[in-house]
Amino acid sequence: MLFLQLLLGGLQTGALYALTACGFALIFGATKVFHFAHGASFTLAGYLFLLMWNNGYPAWLGVLAAILVATGFGVAMERFVYRPIQRHEGGFFTVFVAAFGVSLVVQNLVGMWAGRGFVVADSTLSRATEVLPEVFLAPVFWVSLAVAAVLFLALGLFLTRHPAGVALRALAQNSDLIRAYGLSSHRLSLLAFALGSALAAPAAVLTAITTGMNEAVGHHVMLISMAATIVGGVGSLKGAALAGLSLGVAESVVLNFADPQWAEAASFVVLFGFILFRPSGLFGHAVAR
Amino acid sequence: MRLSRRALLGSAIAAPTLARAQGGDPYVIGTLFPLSGPNAEYGKVFTEGVQLAMQHAQSEGMLRRPLRLQAEDTQALPQQAVVGMTKLVNVDRASYVMVGFTAVSKAVAPVGDRAKTVMVNGGAVGPDLAGLSPYFWNTIPLAHLETREMLPFMMRRNLKRVALVYVDDPLGDAILGILRNDLPRAGGQLVGSFSVPRTAQQFGPVAARIRQTRPDTVYIASFGAQQGQIIKGLRDNGVTVPLTSYSAMNLESIRNLAEAEGLLFTSQQTDFAAGDELTRRYAADFKARFGSDPGTYNTNYYNATRLFCLLAQKLERENKEVNGDTLRAALLEQKEFDLVGGRASFDEQGSMTAAIQINEVRGGRVNTVTG
Repeated sequence: MLFLQLLLGGLQTGALYALTACGFALIFGATKVFHFAHGASFTLAGYLFLLMWNNGYPAWLGVLAAILVATGFGVAMERFVYRPIQRHEGGFFTVFVAAFGVSLVVQNLVGMWAGRGFVVADSTLSRATEVLPEVFLAPVFWVSLAVAAVLFLALGLFLTRHPAGVALRALAQNSDLIRAYGLSSHRLSLLAFALGSALAAPAAVLTAITTGMNEAVGHHVMLISMAATIVGGVGSLKGAALAGLSLGVAESVVLNFADPQWAEAASFVVLFGFILFRPSGLFGHAVAR
Repeated sequence: MRLSRRALLGSAIAAPTLARAQGGDPYVIGTLFPLSGPNAEYGKVFTEGVQLAMQHAQSEGMLRRPLRLQAEDTQALPQQAVVGMTKLVNVDRASYVMVGFTAVSKAVAPVGDRAKTVMVNGGAVGPDLAGLSPYFWNTIPLAHLETREMLPFMMRRNLKRVALVYVDDPLGDAILGILRNDLPRAGGQLVGSFSVPRTAQQFGPVAARIRQTRPDTVYIASFGAQQGQIIKGLRDNGVTVPLTSYSAMNLESIRNLAEAEGLLFTSQQTDFAAGDELTRRYAADFKARFGSDPGTYNTNYYNATRLFCLLAQKLERENKEVNGDTLRAALLEQKEFDLVGGRASFDEQGSMTAAIQINEVRGGRVNTVTG
């Protein structure tokens, strides 16, 4: 029963990891921008939801506000940070340092504004009850899985059926060709940032309800997102989603065999394994040089 | 244009000279606290105590030279702390440095020891912080003193089967050692010990492992944002037994956490209402300045700063230089001081002794259970 409990807990965590990782992978895959401030989108969304929740606003309004702030932040980063850097032909490292700097600024501003302690949305959604002997499940388990499933389905449909989605996939493969077809790569980049950042918001809201937030939570989110993107195969959304889910499950299930201090290490053992034995990731393509 | 630039430059050069002429070079009080990251709440709390003590010292005119606070952000990480300590010692020429967190304290102690700079801890409770260096003092009772009070209390409440969740750092290791040694002697049993990394945020799986050990209580030995996450993770995932811990739980974010209801933790004894004049003024001024009642950590760092002022005042009166050696000699000569909470005494290693009380979180407030 312990294994089942750990597996279910891992699925819940993994669903949230999958959402944030997929958002990061979408941005990175389409724009090739290493958006380290993706964790800051997560932090802002979580804190805004908490602010609204603790001030008695309806949950749906809090979720909407969280999505809007995450999307707005992602779009603002593309428009006012990354694009000027790229205009001046700034390299990968310049972009990374800028994003890292912004994420530190956001972290400190959130700390100054919301306090530097642990904050959580007090909700019955996170209270587990015994559903089987020695197996506890909270309503948020079903919510997490359902939200992740619906969003991945919607994203999949958008990317395969909607012209803008198809164009986004094209941008990921060949940005020059996009321009040859008269499409604006700038607009598509903005769309990638908007969609990718919006995906972080539901995960942030559910994290605010389950494990709670602190202003430094974004770094953890980024670590997981990066690991999932590499394990899943750079550029593959389904790879990132599956890897995020797998990392969450690995982090939890490892407790069946080892001490809790190895939980996070398990994620990175998986990462190292892929880097060593399958560098292209789960769904990535090997590139001949 | 040239003239005004010269005038500006001249006044800029003259300003510090004037300040020196009025009060001499300031005594630099260094702080090595986490001001960002998941433990930043402590940095804020610690600094409030230092700031109020400096305000009081300056308004009382305790010292001939002014005081200057030089804060370095450690993020509660040893590496950052060593960099900060090196700067405080070599660049800022700090007379006195306040530290917190066991790992940080142990990391900076050799730097301060070499420079003969006094370091004072008011937040960390690792038992090996006593005697770390002749220049390393404590204004907080260390963990073995806290558990010495907590274990008999747990036995009286029939909380004999104890599961421990501890952070994988020197503090957590120290508490594991204490419970392994002292719990059987007190009549209890350590039924499980679960080490978690400092960065861990998911505690549902740990709760599942803990439930299997059928404990009477879960003792939490962590700090910062992680403490709240552990409490919530355990409570949300079917761990209903009483939770017990140490003084690190004395934070606003824990008091406000619904899942922390009934949490039992130790802290040093402080009675702000029935105290002496100094204690009453401290409690009133703290509330006026920061809008809340002071907590243990505020008090510890207030006392640490006030201790410097008392020692430096004594040295100034005796026309002696204020440095690590003279401060240490003055501490060992006097040993007892009037600090917030009453008369405080220090042992040969520079550790303050204090009575311990057991507290319980109820309705967002901390109530004393035993004193």
